[in-house]
Amino acid sequence: MSTTELIEVKPDAKFEDGDRELVEVNGVEVGVLRVDGEYYAVRNQCLHDCGPVAEGAIGKKLVGEFVEPGKRVEKEYDDDEPIISCPWHGWSYDLESGEQLADDDIVLPTYDVVVDDGVVYVDCQ
Amino acid sequence: MLESDETQPRQETLDEYYVIDGDCHYMESFHDVAEYMEEPWKTKFEGSNFDEKGAKQNLSSFFPFSTGDRQAHGKITREHSSYPDEPETPERIRDGMKSIGVDETLLISHLILSGAGTTADDDRQTAFAKAYVEYMLEEVLDPGDGIHGLAPIPYSDVDASLEILDRIEGEDAYVGACFVTAGATPPLGNRKYDPLYERCEELGLPAVFHTGGAGLDEYVRAGYQEMLETHTLGFLESNMSQIVSLVVQGVPEKFPDLDIVFMESGITYLPGLMARLDEEYLKRPEEAPLLEKKPGEYITDFYYGTQPLEVSAETEYLEKCFDLVGADSLMFASDYPHWDYDRPTTVTDLPFLSEDEKKQILSENAKEVFGL
Ligand code: FES
Repeated sequence: MSTTELIEVKPDAKFEDGDRELVEVNGVEVGVLRVDGEYYAVRNQCLHDCGPVAEGAIGKKLVGEFVEPGKRVEKEYDDDEPIISCPWHGWSYDLESGEQLADDDIVLPTYDVVVDDGVVYVDCQ
Repeated sequence: MLESDETQPRQETLDEYYVIDGDCHYMESFHDVAEYMEEPWKTKFEGSNFDEKGAKQNLSSFFPFSTGDRQAHGKITREHSSYPDEPETPERIRDGMKSIGVDETLLISHLILSGAGTTADDDRQTAFAKAYVEYMLEEVLDPGDGIHGLAPIPYSDVDASLEILDRIEGEDAYVGACFVTAGATPPLGNRKYDPLYERCEELGLPAVFHTGGAGLDEYVRAGYQEMLETHTLGFLESNMSQIVSLVVQGVPEKFPDLDIVFMESGITYLPGLMARLDEEYLKRPEEAPLLEKKPGEYITDFYYGTQPLEVSAETEYLEKCFDLVGADSLMFASDYPHWDYDRPTTVTDLPFLSEDEKKQILSENAKEVFGL
């Protein structure tokens, strides 16, 4: 049976898009971010060499489409796939799943974020 | 002429295995191929400085030649070891196969290897490749007797290359298309070559990328002094640059049914290349957005000719390289009759391969890939 333990972050009303807060969850640092109205929480320790990944640039996944032989591959950013990139060497992770974009066997721990009664919490379960 | 097979050391080992040679060179002469040329090249070829005019075919005025003496300045003395003065004959190929214990062979042009260094125009390579295709078909290839061909693709001229692929459609004697990796600019992952891969895929012809000595003296920078330097580095660089280009530009994703083969750089360079490319890809995957897996995994999907196999390397290291590349991705290649050719014994001697793996490498992979 799992119990829910919520770590308070800050009031929803004060969380602007692009804001991020660091909280401690079970003894590790977790970054809580708001991107395009959605909350995400990831461990602030990059799986490459422990860089502060939660403090890195937010972006979108670049996807390519092979349209036709001989034509340029069409490239565009996928609005539905926000990513975060570690400031040290650029390892990038899907914010939702924590998967490293180049290798989905490498998964940065992610956490559920809940908003309850106007307050943002990290579910540390 | 070569001696008959009875004189070959270790004949009993060679007899034990059915061997398909993924990379053997036909030493075609300019003289013979010229007869199949279209004008104006036929006239130009015939008027070039060959034969009675005193130049040997390896010192042609047609293609530039590259570093060093292949026979190590007189040390390698076997007959027919590299560039014979006399035009090649189909009989000599049969003798050669017999002498090294090969049952079926895939021939590629040796002159097109140096032709790849011709950068002043794309006419000569095209004229040569077209004539070579006809000459070999008419006079040399004999699939019923295990002598198969790879058609040279003068890829700088995409239209001409497509014409060659059209020409060999349905010709059983040609089992693949050969792209010389030396001199390919832009590298072969560029989209301009897509129509060639598309057509090869459609025809079920593997794309065989073969390194070469074209421009070897100054393959990346000028000033090397010995062939030991340029041959060690240049042959690797030519293959590595095209492997990286094909993978990063997503050729295996664009043409998933295309079989890709790389020849003549041994195998120990592959794990290093895979590791380095994967390491970089982890940091910048957005630059290869077509990839669905790590670059190294595409590299092990490709096939590799074994020659020149680094048999003197530490056994554990070589074994690890075989593990990483995979016996299912390797095919024996002799590079006969070039100076650093391998016999099938280079594979049969490896202590860490099972019998099944030896058979896979010596014939089964090639049989499957080339539909033999
Ligand atoms: S520590 Fe994060 S990319 Fe290197």
